[in-house]
Amino acid sequence: MGKKKSEVYSVEVNGIKDIETTNEGDGKEKYRGLKDHLGHKKDHQKELKKELDLDDHKLNAKELEDKYGTNIIRGLTSTKAAEILARDGPNALSPPKETSEIIKFLKQMVGGFSILLWAGAVLCWIAFGIQFAKDKSASMDNVYLGFVLALVVIFTGIFAYYQEAKSTNIIASFSKMIPRQALVIRDGEKKEIPAGQLVVGDIVEIKGGDQIPADIRILASHGCKVDNSSLTGESEAQSRSCDFTHENPLETKNIGFYSTTCLEGTATGMVINTGDRTIIGRIASLASGVGNEKTPIAIEIEHFVHIVAGVAVSIGVIFFIIAVSMKYPVLESIIFLIGIIVANVPEGLLAAVTVSLSLTAKRMAKKNCLVKNLEAVETLGSTSIICSDKTGTLTQNRMTVAHLWFDNQIYQADTSEDQEAQIFDQSSATWASLSKIVTLCNRAEFRPGQETVPIMKKIVVGDASETALLKFSEVIMGDIMETRKRNRKVAEIPFNSTNKFQLSIHETDDPNDKRFLLVMKGAPERILEKCSTIMINGQEQPLNESSAEAFQTAYMELGGLGERVLGFCHLYLPEDEFPDTYPFDVETMNFPTSDLCFVGLLSLIDPPRSTVPDAVTKCRSAGIKVIMVTGDHPITAKAIAKSVGIISANSETVEDIAKRLNVPVEQVNKRDAKAAVVNGMELKEMSQEQLDEVLINHTEIVFARTSPQQKLIIVEGCQRQDAVVAVTGDGVNDSPALKKADIGIAMGIAGSDAAKNAADMVLLDDNFASIVTGVEEGRLIFDNLKKTIAFTLTKNIAELCPFLIFIIAGIPLPIGTITILFIDLGTDIIPSIALAYEKAESDIMNRKPRHKKKDRLVNQQLALYSYLHIGILQSLGAFLAYFTVYTEQGFRPTRLIFLRSEWEDGNINDLEDSYGQEWTRYQRKYLEWIGYTSFFVAIMVQQIADLIIRKTRRNSIFQQGLFRNKVIWIGIASQIIIALILSYGFGSITAMNFTTLRVQYWFVAIPYAIVIWLYDEFRKLLIRRYPGSWWDKNMYY
Amino acid sequence: MERNSKPAGAEDASRNLPTKPENENEGNQLHSEDRDEVEAQAAAQWSLAAKMQQVKNYLWNPEKREFLGRSGQSWSLILVFYLIFYAFLAGMFALCMYTMLLTISPYIPTYRDRVNPPGVMIRPYTYSFAFNFNASERSTWISYVDSLHHFLQAYNDSIQDEKNVNCTPGQYFIQEGAEDKEKKACQFKRSFLGNCSGLDDLTFGYSTGQPCVLLKMNRIVGFHPGNGEPVKVNCHVQKGNKSDLKSMDFYPETGTFDLSYYPYYGKLTHVNYTSPLVAVHFTEVKKNRAVGVECQLKGRNIQNNITNDRFVGRVLFTLNIGG
Repeated sequence: MGKKKSEVYSVEVNGIKDIETTNEGDGKEKYRGLKDHLGHKKDHQKELKKELDLDDHKLNAKELEDKYGTNIIRGLTSTKAAEILARDGPNALSPPKETSEIIKFLKQMVGGFSILLWAGAVLCWIAFGIQFAKDKSASMDNVYLGFVLALVVIFTGIFAYYQEAKSTNIIASFSKMIPRQALVIRDGEKKEIPAGQLVVGDIVEIKGGDQIPADIRILASHGCKVDNSSLTGESEAQSRSCDFTHENPLETKNIGFYSTTCLEGTATGMVINTGDRTIIGRIASLASGVGNEKTPIAIEIEHFVHIVAGVAVSIGVIFFIIAVSMKYPVLESIIFLIGIIVANVPEGLLAAVTVSLSLTAKRMAKKNCLVKNLEAVETLGSTSIICSDKTGTLTQNRMTVAHLWFDNQIYQADTSEDQEAQIFDQSSATWASLSKIVTLCNRAEFRPGQETVPIMKKIVVGDASETALLKFSEVIMGDIMETRKRNRKVAEIPFNSTNKFQLSIHETDDPNDKRFLLVMKGAPERILEKCSTIMINGQEQPLNESSAEAFQTAYMELGGLGERVLGFCHLYLPEDEFPDTYPFDVETMNFPTSDLCFVGLLSLIDPPRSTVPDAVTKCRSAGIKVIMVTGDHPITAKAIAKSVGIISANSETVEDIAKRLNVPVEQVNKRDAKAAVVNGMELKEMSQEQLDEVLINHTEIVFARTSPQQKLIIVEGCQRQDAVVAVTGDGVNDSPALKKADIGIAMGIAGSDAAKNAADMVLLDDNFASIVTGVEEGRLIFDNLKKTIAFTLTKNIAELCPFLIFIIAGIPLPIGTITILFIDLGTDIIPSIALAYEKAESDIMNRKPRHKKKDRLVNQQLALYSYLHIGILQSLGAFLAYFTVYTEQGFRPTRLIFLRSEWEDGNINDLEDSYGQEWTRYQRKYLEWIGYTSFFVAIMVQQIADLIIRKTRRNSIFQQGLFRNKVIWIGIASQIIIALILSYGFGSITAMNFTTLRVQYWFVAIPYAIVIWLYDEFRKLLIRRYPGSWWDKNMYY
Repeated sequence: MERNSKPAGAEDASRNLPTKPENENEGNQLHSEDRDEVEAQAAAQWSLAAKMQQVKNYLWNPEKREFLGRSGQSWSLILVFYLIFYAFLAGMFALCMYTMLLTISPYIPTYRDRVNPPGVMIRPYTYSFAFNFNASERSTWISYVDSLHHFLQAYNDSIQDEKNVNCTPGQYFIQEGAEDKEKKACQFKRSFLGNCSGLDDLTFGYSTGQPCVLLKMNRIVGFHPGNGEPVKVNCHVQKGNKSDLKSMDFYPETGTFDLSYYPYYGKLTHVNYTSPLVAVHFTEVKKNRAVGVECQLKGRNIQNNITNDRFVGRVLFTLNIGG
């Protein structure tokens, strides 16, 4: 039993060759990739080279003892262990290097617009310094403004940092591991110690169910099987023994790897590597070495910040020059410059974007997509290629009976997650026999105490295939354990690699039938060899040519589906030869093992999740290419790809075409094939250009037998096509690719910690379908951010124009810097966030993913429409309010022109207005504040209209529904309430520059608000009416 | 890749040549590192050049004949659009302004709440309200004198006689009639200012160290100062020794703004209106030190203690008379 070989269960029709070759050659290649790739990264190469130094698998026990100064029987001494522990450090993966919190914080302080605002603040202080040097009684206004600007930067920085930290914390708490224990022999005694305390040379014992605590050299093994899937991606269990079977340390059977699981059996091993020096540790560090790509949204925001900062600085500088040439003192010109910068920078926007992203992140978390990095929220939306791992993501990651063959017919079994609907014909007597064999010839058992657990969720002791068979029969026939009890087992030959079959002999549950029943299962061709008859419709018939052929056809067909096929046969031992008391001896095999009766075939597969095909279709209609990248065999991979629709039903690979046309593969035009299945071996031979060609020419691609490095190469290949690449994966072997991808998606349940660490997003339910939700949310947030930005940018013009006209026409300042900050950080904040709640205008899952370089977040149309259309309209409305206030107080517009220098002169306290009245400086100042307030209110009123028009970019507001997004109304209410509080609540606090306002001034800008709305409806109408027209091209943002 | 022949790689390789195959990699690695560096540099240069080219192309693309990404036709279309659009906006704004101005009387401002209560100003005009002069040095005070002469030009008796009417003092000069009817203004003759009129003493007392300062209350349309009782002027030392300011004379002698000059009907109809003045003649001021003087208006609807506004109902200035 200990020598059970895993290959037995694998596809043996035409898969066998593949396995052999890959096992021989691929093993080395797979890991050589580690070196070839990323060759320029010195550290990694060095580390990876060490991997090849590993020769412990070649040494015998004595040599090992010498090398590690240990004793196989007594283990290390505690003192020695402590020594080594001190030298090597604990046996744990060092966590990925985190940017220190202070650096993160400082980054927030200088990122985005912060630099501009800091510059503004410093200019303020410099201006004050100069003023103060000239005149000791200089007004402190500039100092305050400087502080306010600095505070704005610091607060938005803290806010962004807090948001970021909050979303990081979710994942931190999530990925916390429970410390594991290891059974170690030290000082000749068995001890349980935390796995972290293990050192090189320790002798450890492992048993089924344990995670291997470090890289170990197996010294003794009893039927030990390990699951290396987290390392290689293969779900096949592999046996472990103390024999040196392969040059390559990764292929040899006598080494167990850190963090892989021991499925069954027991083993004793010597620790040869701990912590980061383990194979897993090295791959993990390879992942941390792969540079993190900037997320698309980060690039977009940077692009946008550059645009706005560029506009701010250039307008600032232009007007600085104009001001200086208009003979304004330099100092005043600097103050103008500050005003222009403040007016141009949407201070609150980045905070609003962060909030919008985190709102979406929250929404996605509810739908089982946990986002580690806020910006990754949008990345999924722009994803154009998904490289999906097969096992666990597309499939259920458990063997399941997929097909049955008996009575010369193939039946399909239900492979859905709950398997409730097994609809194949169960009336045949052959099925009765087959089911009996399946039930009896099976060593797997349910772990006791799970009566209430649904069958599919019960924990089973046994290997994957037997588990599948056990659950399959339990679903169909009910209490299997009871059936087994009634058919007492009298003898058993467990599976082994020489026999390639498993046999057991049972009493029957029919009290009248005293015969014994011999049941056998195994590799189909071996089973068939042992049979002379075949059961058809419950009748034994001689096995002739035609039935043998039928068997072959069925076997080939099922094998061709990438399924693992098992044959079943039985024999009722004649009562006279084998009486009740007959002593069965499994050693001498004193019972017949030939001339049996062949009953049927069962084929097993790790079936796709039921939600996946639908999700793949959705991805496809959303213009996303789904590529399967797996470590599994090409045939299995292709079969799964077909069944989930990654390779659609009617598309062919080059090989398929060749087969159909009956010509050699080389003669087929590669472009004719829509689909491609690329083997890791082929991939290794490919040049970059060839890989690009594959990626461009084929829409449906499956990469099989790939190594971690090849995954990385594939991801890079996709990225060379300007694609935004999402990678899903769960194993440690996936982590470099996860890191390299634009968005790495790790599996929350099956995923290893290394994968989760490397990923940007974790699928809590391991379900590929959740990705589709993510894509949808991502696209929506991109659209909505566009709206948010358009909304926010608009009023910048209304904030900027006053300054420009103030400088050029010399009118009293229409709106103060502090007031502008109250718009940017006060009234506009909640509405801009509210746009994140806006529903999609059309089916966003039916359009192509945006082009990374062409479909910008902030494009020319958006900027022009916001700045030069709505922005100008807003400015006009606000100026109307401003002029109304001044005129009604006595300063007609004509009087205001070029009044500035007198207006601001503190020594002129009898400035005449249009009516001949005389004003003191403070009276004028107060009037100026009324002007500020009215200008502010006018902008606020028009921003309400702006908010409403920004709900849609193409549809009419009425199509979208005014009340579907309730948060918008909260936003509008907040605008009005904040403005009311500022005007009436703080009216007497002069530092805020707000005054109480006559009621009618709140309504001055309303006509303009209506014009804004009408104009935008008109714009949208023309866009809808004349798609592709000049108007559409220039006005649709 | 072949084994690298560079000295470092070769040396390294030869040292361990016999046994360890991975030294080949060491060589390769060095090789590839060098190459990467060169490539990276080349790429950096290339990208800079490409960027420049991109910018150039954006500015003027000779192939497509595009300036800033738009062809001539596209530019003219967009310019025409903006021309029409902005013309429309300008028209709309003009219409709005026109409508707004229509609702506003040119004779009486809609609101007078901000300009009320009235401020006070002094003449001569000084920078920062400080009179620093030396009586014996003409150059130190001549600017004040010139300023006053200039200011009082409009108050010349001849001009006042010609343009304005003589009113009954002690009562408001209320003129009924339509808003747009021209209003008469009361005479305020320069000669009312006595010693401070600049008629007898052409230097307004500055040459003797006894300066005259004229006080003027800010005009407010329709304002009735004092509510029937004339507003009175009072000056005192703002801070410090009261004796610094021993005596002063007021002209007109009452030291008040007579009611007959009010109400003011606005610039448009009250064309020849001249603000009444009160002259303060500081006849005995402590010399050679800055004396802070506060002149206040006292009257029923006059405020002179607003913290934020030091010019409402009062005016502060310093007298620093040398010699």
